[in-house]
Amino acid sequence: MRRVKSLWAILFMIALALVVAVSGCGGGDATTTTAPAPTDTTAGSAPTDTAAAAEPVTLYIGGTFALTGPYAEDCAAVLAGYQDYVKWVNDNKILAPWYSDKTIPKNVTFDVLWGDDALAPDKTLTIYDDLKSKGLLTERVSGSPEGMALKDKLMGDKIGATSQSSSPAYLNPPGNIFTNAPIYTDQMAAIAEWFLKGWTDTSRKPRVAYLTADSTLGRNLDIPEMQAYLEKLGYEFVGAQYVPMVPTAPPTTQLAWLKENKVDLALGLMINPGSQPTIKEAVRLGMGPDQAYKITFGFGYPAHLQVFAPAMGEQGNGVVVAGDFAAWESNAEGVAFANEMQAKYRPNDKVTHVMYLCGIVEAMTQVEALRLASTQVDPAKLTSADVLEKGFQQIKDLSTGGILVTNLTYGPGDPEGVDEVRLQQVQGGKIVELGSYPLRGIVPK
Amino acid sequence: MSLPSGTFAQDYAQDMRLMRTKAQWGSMGLLLVFLATIPLWASDSNLTTATIIGITIISVHGLNILTGNCGLVSMGHSGFMMVGGYAMAILSAKVGLPFWAAMPAAGLIAGIVGVLFGLPSLRIKGFYLIMATVSAYFIIHWLILQFRDLTGGTDGLSVPTATFFGLAIKGKATYYYLVLVLAVLATLVAKNILRTRAGRAFVAIRDNDLAAEVMGVNLWGYRLQAFFIGCVFAGVAGALSVQYYSYANVEQFPFFDSVWFLGMLIVGGMGSTSGVIYGVLAIKLLQLLATKIGPSLAEVVNPQAAVGLSLILPSLAIILFLIFAPRGIEHIWGRFRGYYQAWPF
Repeated sequence: MRRVKSLWAILFMIALALVVAVSGCGGGDATTTTAPAPTDTTAGSAPTDTAAAAEPVTLYIGGTFALTGPYAEDCAAVLAGYQDYVKWVNDNKILAPWYSDKTIPKNVTFDVLWGDDALAPDKTLTIYDDLKSKGLLTERVSGSPEGMALKDKLMGDKIGATSQSSSPAYLNPPGNIFTNAPIYTDQMAAIAEWFLKGWTDTSRKPRVAYLTADSTLGRNLDIPEMQAYLEKLGYEFVGAQYVPMVPTAPPTTQLAWLKENKVDLALGLMINPGSQPTIKEAVRLGMGPDQAYKITFGFGYPAHLQVFAPAMGEQGNGVVVAGDFAAWESNAEGVAFANEMQAKYRPNDKVTHVMYLCGIVEAMTQVEALRLASTQVDPAKLTSADVLEKGFQQIKDLSTGGILVTNLTYGPGDPEGVDEVRLQQVQGGKIVELGSYPLRGIVPK
Repeated sequence: MSLPSGTFAQDYAQDMRLMRTKAQWGSMGLLLVFLATIPLWASDSNLTTATIIGITIISVHGLNILTGNCGLVSMGHSGFMMVGGYAMAILSAKVGLPFWAAMPAAGLIAGIVGVLFGLPSLRIKGFYLIMATVSAYFIIHWLILQFRDLTGGTDGLSVPTATFFGLAIKGKATYYYLVLVLAVLATLVAKNILRTRAGRAFVAIRDNDLAAEVMGVNLWGYRLQAFFIGCVFAGVAGALSVQYYSYANVEQFPFFDSVWFLGMLIVGGMGSTSGVIYGVLAIKLLQLLATKIGPSLAEVVNPQAAVGLSLILPSLAIILFLIFAPRGIEHIWGRFRGYYQAWPF
């Protein structure tokens, strides 16, 4: 028996040694790229000058994507946008067709690193550390809670991140999560201002309420500053109703409450699986701009009209969405660019979801941050701090070819990239642009 | 516990010892050394995984006492973690309590909340108790969102860095050691609870509550004790989790976690302290494996299908264990050990 025990101990020691050896091989926390450093690049020189002689360098972009859960459709399209954009940049060595001057050094290629966070903060942290150790110098976040779980760590590690969520909490205090959509409260303010322009009844104030998702996303607008701003504009604030993120039953009670309280404008943040059944039920209850009970529904950016309008047709008439990307039908250069990439890289597998455009914008932002930093530091020796300070925070007036309503500008303490909010409305079953409104800075930065 | 042939206890104290042989002490020592050296060789990502596994072990120990030992199936465990997490955040960020005081207080508060929601357990059991604990989760979730001034609502609460008598618990390795110490402590406490009068009463209630009552076991008192103890574990785990993220948000404690916790008990072996560890390791490592291979698999299949493995693999494991090994890894390991010890007979 003693011999058997000894055998166990030996086996355990061997297993332990193997684990240590295997983990040691993959371990370590690289803060630079995995490619070998060039030997002839002097500090301060532009890498483009030495590119021909330099060793190949692979720079990574990407981060965490919520490919399981309610954001799965959105994030799958974002990931496709990242992957196609990287292929295009590697093929063409420029940032975008309209940026022939923003060149990528010939020795630099990009690749996408990603992991599925399933909208869970614990998975987000694990993937973040994993990708960091593989040489990712940037990051991306999917939902607001994941972004908030990472916010302090991104600041501590000096890593800049792009985001598809636009939580006000990213601004207060400002961190390293750079948004490309206006903060949710600014989106709501834009809808409120637009609605007020068409308000003709002088006998009473327009009545506004929240009809929003019962989640962190939905409750992002439910802050005192938002209510104060609406009241300052001249609204009478009635209250709030919450609808499950993905309703399992029609939100009849919530809609009936809006009717009973004579609400004229309902504001909310929902994803399409929430907004579509809500509006279908509203129409059934005779509620809408063209219905017996006149009410306008305004949603924020994740309720994409690009998905909503084709699915709802004329049933969705009058619904306004703030802060979204350009429509696929628009003449924007960026949309043509997206179509060109899809034709080239996925001719039989076209992504029709509008978040593909978000993927392009985010990937472009990360590549631009790496490119800018590479003009000051040898790409093979880049650190995440370089990419943050010499990259992300130096992005000024970056055009997305009209995918976003304005160009992107970031800086230290300024993670909100766009300066205006785009408004779109369903009219006759089609998406119509209503113009853009300035940011109101409801959440103090 | 199966012991090598020739190992006899000469008195009660010896019989009750957790470690009876030198080999047991040796393997425990090796295991602790292995766990202690993890920060020396593991990557940040692996260290994060190890820390999260440690926190989950503490939480599932609580569920094991409640469900595995006392037979009170709870689907609200994640909600009780939420209570502990928010208690920690409020006590440290708003009240200014130091970490060493806030964490036990968070456990205590979660325990008290657990007792409140455990009150119906005298009248209801089985499916009805499950539904009551499901409701508990949603009531806690709702309450936390309502008290915005206190909890930060959906914005959540930022939590200051923990300090332990002036020393900041900042780095990943430091936090890992803290979680490791607490996980070992939680395992010891959980193991010892089973050897107390209360632990034996829990098992009696689980096996046949009517018979236990006839024999003088105070059902109501012991069920509430089980809720209290189970939720204290959950509260401490929630507090550690929030402290690790430096941020508290209701979405850090999704309802689905409660389901996974039960799955971990099934896979590990319900009612067994070591089964908890096996179950947490099995499910968490399967989830990690799926997350890691997802991007590579996405080269050949749709990315959404590839990452779906993180749900499918652990779910499949739970189904397979329910069918083929309902007593979990602990039982399989016990049989294997027994066979090996008796070999060649």
